[in-house]
Amino acid sequence: MIGKMKRRDFLKALGLGGTATLAGCDLPTTVTLEEGKEDVISYLLPEEYAIPGIAVWYASTCTQCTAGCGIHGRVREGRVLKIEGNPDAPINAGKTCQMGQAGLQGHYNPDRITTPMVREGGKLVPTTWEKAQALLNEKLGAKSSLNADRVAWFTGTLSGHQRALVVNHLDAVGSKQHFAHEIVNASVWQAVCRDMLDDPMPRIRLDKAKLILSFGADFLATWISPVHFAGQYSKFRTAADRGALIQVESKMSMTGGSADLWVAIRPGTEGALALGLANYLVANGVNASALSAEVRDKIAAHDLQKVASITGIASAQIERIGKALKGRNPSVVLAGASVEGQAQGYEAVAAIMLLNVLLGNIGTTIEPSGKFPFPQLEAKSGGTRDLLAFAQAVQQKQLDVVFFYGANPLYSAPVALKLDEQINNIPFKVALAQFPDETAMHADLVLPVSSYLEDWGTHVAAYQAEQNQISVQQPLMQKLYAETRGFGDVMVSLLAMRNAAQWGAFADSYGYMKNVFTNMKANVGAAALSNDEFWNNSLQTGMVKVDAPVRKHTLKPVVPNVAANSTDVAFPFYLVPSPRMGLFDGRHANLPWLQESPDQIAKVVWDSWAEMHPSTADKLGIAHGDVIKVESEHGALEVKAYLVKAIHPDAISIPLGQGHTEYGRYAKDRGVNPLKILKPITDAKTGELAMYATRVKVSKTGKQDVIIRLGHSDTQHGRRLVRTVSVDVLKRTKGA
Amino acid sequence: MVRWFNKQAAKIAGVTPVHAMHPVSWIAAITLVWFVTSSAGFAQDIVPPVGVHQGEDVAQPIEFPHNIHVEVNKINCMYCHTYARRSKVAGIPPTSKCMGCHKIIATDKPRIQKLTEYWQKGESPKWKKVHDVPDYVHFTHERHLKKLVFDRDYPVEDVKEICAFCHGQLKDMTVAKKAKPLNMGWCVSCHEKNGGPSDCWKCHK
Repeated sequence: MIGKMKRRDFLKALGLGGTATLAGCDLPTTVTLEEGKEDVISYLLPEEYAIPGIAVWYASTCTQCTAGCGIHGRVREGRVLKIEGNPDAPINAGKTCQMGQAGLQGHYNPDRITTPMVREGGKLVPTTWEKAQALLNEKLGAKSSLNADRVAWFTGTLSGHQRALVVNHLDAVGSKQHFAHEIVNASVWQAVCRDMLDDPMPRIRLDKAKLILSFGADFLATWISPVHFAGQYSKFRTAADRGALIQVESKMSMTGGSADLWVAIRPGTEGALALGLANYLVANGVNASALSAEVRDKIAAHDLQKVASITGIASAQIERIGKALKGRNPSVVLAGASVEGQAQGYEAVAAIMLLNVLLGNIGTTIEPSGKFPFPQLEAKSGGTRDLLAFAQAVQQKQLDVVFFYGANPLYSAPVALKLDEQINNIPFKVALAQFPDETAMHADLVLPVSSYLEDWGTHVAAYQAEQNQISVQQPLMQKLYAETRGFGDVMVSLLAMRNAAQWGAFADSYGYMKNVFTNMKANVGAAALSNDEFWNNSLQTGMVKVDAPVRKHTLKPVVPNVAANSTDVAFPFYLVPSPRMGLFDGRHANLPWLQESPDQIAKVVWDSWAEMHPSTADKLGIAHGDVIKVESEHGALEVKAYLVKAIHPDAISIPLGQGHTEYGRYAKDRGVNPLKILKPITDAKTGELAMYATRVKVSKTGKQDVIIRLGHSDTQHGRRLVRTVSVDVLKRTKGA
Repeated sequence: MVRWFNKQAAKIAGVTPVHAMHPVSWIAAITLVWFVTSSAGFAQDIVPPVGVHQGEDVAQPIEFPHNIHVEVNKINCMYCHTYARRSKVAGIPPTSKCMGCHKIIATDKPRIQKLTEYWQKGESPKWKKVHDVPDYVHFTHERHLKKLVFDRDYPVEDVKEICAFCHGQLKDMTVAKKAKPLNMGWCVSCHEKNGGPSDCWKCHK
């Protein structure tokens, strides 16, 4: 019968059966609302500016990544309900990304830590702030006998007055140990820019370029300041002379997906390609006199044939890119995480930067940034070098007290660093945490901190737009949980323990912030305003504009010692732990909106997967959806294979973000964490972890599973839902 | 008032061409106009929604007597529900507004003593919500008052008759009780009779 049944009949049958099934359920008849069940609480005293039912927008700063976008929060009846970009913020000009939008779900997250917790008998048990503070006072108060450098702070990227408070605390204790850790960073790029241009974070002007050549820089999703660059990119694309984007990388990123030409490159050979392109440019009449003889020799040694064999890109393709570079001026050449994260990462980025020098981009599309006049507030940009240094200090039992804030090293540290096993070498670990993440759950004292929508702060983004500024963060609503405290509140009380004379005067971070703004006023050219005017203006606009003298780029081209990677027979593939807009480095895995929002390339939701090229899968006999074992020297992960052509055959890509062992109901025990099996190789020059240099082997487990993804299928099954027309036909018919 | 009068005249003229009207009709029409304009009572040009709902008795933290405030003391609804003309919600009056009068008036009554206790603790009573529509319905008091009261130059002192369209006669209740169905069919029937918008997205957005 089934065989003869038509689709329509099937639906009819389903409809009948469906009704019969539903009759047993609680069938809703009409929409009714209960009377007298919900509380409705009036104001005690009416606020003049607050009318129930009418929203008010407040300015603040997003802290979902380190870009520091300005935001407006819609507040109604004392609740923040929506986040949008602040149109006056030079970094994001009124826009936000999905991570910024999802900030609300962090704030209202059901897994927030709501009381202080202390470890008793091996378990974390709730305690009170009074007891927590007594404990802190005992360990760290003025009378404690702690050896200065045995106290440390471990944070994410920290800037503004949060950084000033941490530095003040370390000074008060007499320590210099501040580790700043970010998995998604641009540390090597910054190091190369500092060495070559004397400017660690030059301004990129995609909007002025006619061609972008990006070596793995995912500037639309994860690189430095994605919303800012997306704004520039839209100008670049909509200009009368539409700019062209060429993306060279081993695994297609979101930016790669938008490129006019996407080129798959053998992992770790980007530096060689850059020199090969320089070779092409010099051979085709581009003036290389700005470069030293040594650099010119390096370039001369990279002829097209050689580079083609190293990179696995056909020489005709390299010529095509070279021709585009020469023909479309000005251009800009960028280097992202997959280039930086190699043992020769610095050299490769330097080689890529040489292309900018050769093409005359320095000063046109790579502009000098402003020198921020308050170095104590500048961002301490996190990287992975500090993670390695921290792991070493832990191993050597050099630390007695460590404060963790805004970083989760027990999630992000590779197993090879042995941080998991040795974390208890630190006798007293204090986590200032919003969520029960891996690090907080291993701490001895957990202090619940406010969400960024409940807290005071200032931020100075490492990448500043045309107008330098201090971004202001203010509470958009009252604390949801009475027992949480702002980061500044905790810091002021910690400082008062050491130095009551100076810090005891501030009741909380609000008092501190008001004092700071009063002192700041004259230094930012606002001396004519009254204290209140300056404070109100700053809160209203969400920023304090700062005049920063523009640097001068002094060109010192570095000699890029690009060397080819050796082959590894036992571990033939490169592991690409790719970050993405959404879960990012794993910090947003507890936000359901971002779990639900599909990966930009694979479209997978709520899961981990391993991307591999169909030709590679063919050789290994792996089919789409097979559970495979991806194994490095330091461990193995079992994950579903996802066959996709947008990856180099030598690469296996596992996206970052999943594989949490803690971190609340949405993140815990979901997928795998590729960071765990990384080999602790470092970039020779900067000491950063070479995150993209780990070799792996792949084997089948014999298991099969379903990969849940948006749309589920790449074909339209002949239904022509989206109609297409070939370029030839389009040209002939002009789209008619 | 003149604007409103013209509108009424136009409406009557629209129903029956003026030249075809019988003299008696003229008298009737003028009488009707006179009656409507002079009577502060019911709004003849607006047809009130029909339908009742037998609401539950809802126990409130303080048994607030609407009847005394509305009927005996003739206090305007919008004196306490001050947000109704400005916002989608009418608003429960701030406790300070209650205390504005009750610091002096009726301080010997147990209900007022209870209110004073709340006030001294710095808390508002936890009132229970009686009238509500689902989250996917965007109802706004402001638009309804604009259309039914202010745009018609309807006497504001009689606004309680307009409020009663949806809330029933509060002058006859102590604590509020749901008296109208407040469901979609009921809303739509009133919109149809009185030229309210019928686009889905006017209410569902």
